[in-house]
Amino acid sequence: MSNITTSQTIGPFSHEGWQWAVDFCAAGRLETSAPTIVLHGVLYDGDGNPIDDAQIEAWLPEAAGVEASLEIPGFRRTPTGKAGEFSLRLSVPPRPVGEPVAYVTVFARGLTKHQFTAVFLEDDATLAESAILAQVPAARRDTLVARKDGDGTYRWDIWMQTDKETVFFDYV
Amino acid sequence: MKFDDVQPGVWPELIYPAYKSTVKRGPLQPALRIDASVPVSRNIDPAPRILLPHDMDLTRRGQAAPLGEKIVVTGRVVDEDGKPVRNSLIEVWQANSAGRYWHQRDNHDAPLDPNFFGFGKMMTDDDGRYRFVSIKPGPYPWKNHDKAWRPAHIHFSLFGNVYAQRLVTQMYFPNDPLFAYDPIFNSIPDEAARQRLVSRFSLDHTVGDEMLGYEFDIVLRGRGATPFGL
Repeated sequence: MSNITTSQTIGPFSHEGWQWAVDFCAAGRLETSAPTIVLHGVLYDGDGNPIDDAQIEAWLPEAAGVEASLEIPGFRRTPTGKAGEFSLRLSVPPRPVGEPVAYVTVFARGLTKHQFTAVFLEDDATLAESAILAQVPAARRDTLVARKDGDGTYRWDIWMQTDKETVFFDYV
Repeated sequence: MKFDDVQPGVWPELIYPAYKSTVKRGPLQPALRIDASVPVSRNIDPAPRILLPHDMDLTRRGQAAPLGEKIVVTGRVVDEDGKPVRNSLIEVWQANSAGRYWHQRDNHDAPLDPNFFGFGKMMTDDDGRYRFVSIKPGPYPWKNHDKAWRPAHIHFSLFGNVYAQRLVTQMYFPNDPLFAYDPIFNSIPDEAARQRLVSRFSLDHTVGDEMLGYEFDIVLRGRGATPFGL
């Protein structure tokens, strides 16, 4: 009999309380000894409308060592903007074969429980060997892969619904 | 750690039409249960300097004392084995005593309090315990439906000891007459799971003539943690 504490939405008013961590991981403050990329995209609802009051967190476990001077090494948080957009500068140190470039968590008003996902880079030569992607139905794997759209920039949209719905995880 | 399936009805419904904004924002596909070692074994490790003076006393961040009923909120964070979740980051945020958030998008016609901003953070101790001082938040309208008023609540954000334990929830106060009418509270099908979000009044934690105590214990998912030090 599980007695876990259940989830509730973050609601629309998280921004002031969550801002401290947004500031600590701002791209302008990033000190890292690893190469970096910019991961950017838009968070969409089931009608294709942008979600402008969400929070996105990214966790880069392998980056903790190369960002040791930061308050929370290997962690990013950003609210989505007016057009549902988000942009994160990520350290990309060597990582174990098949690991995502970041584990991502999505929070929003109207989302009663946060959603876990993960993002991979399309030019990662080890994608085919990823033990995580191997557990995702082949037809939906693309929802977890960011596309290169510039020098060091990758585009990754998150869809809460529709036939593009991003794969969300529950970890065993 | 191991993360067992959550029993049906414990998590809130992702699509709950009475809470209108869930309809287009909740995922339609069930979460894919996957085996991945990193999320269930590692976590962020914040530097101690993230904690600032008064982060644990939300009544001391202005020039003077805020208006409202001063309270202390405390509890233990444990995993599904009952083991303490130690040295773990918690964030809290809430409305002021008049039911108004310090937030540019809150246009509820209730006063802001220049001495109360309504957010804080803390780490759990070796027993998994947290404690903070605040002001009892007021209920507020949210326009989801006619006479839609949220029961008074404090938002909690917990990071746990491993990434997969991450949780955001809301703590409520005992005997709130608004529970029956609140779609956010009632998006949780299981009655016992709803009741676990309601704090208890605690005379033990009440501090003399200064403030009433409320106790809110939290159980994060996960069991089988490697004992500390191994």
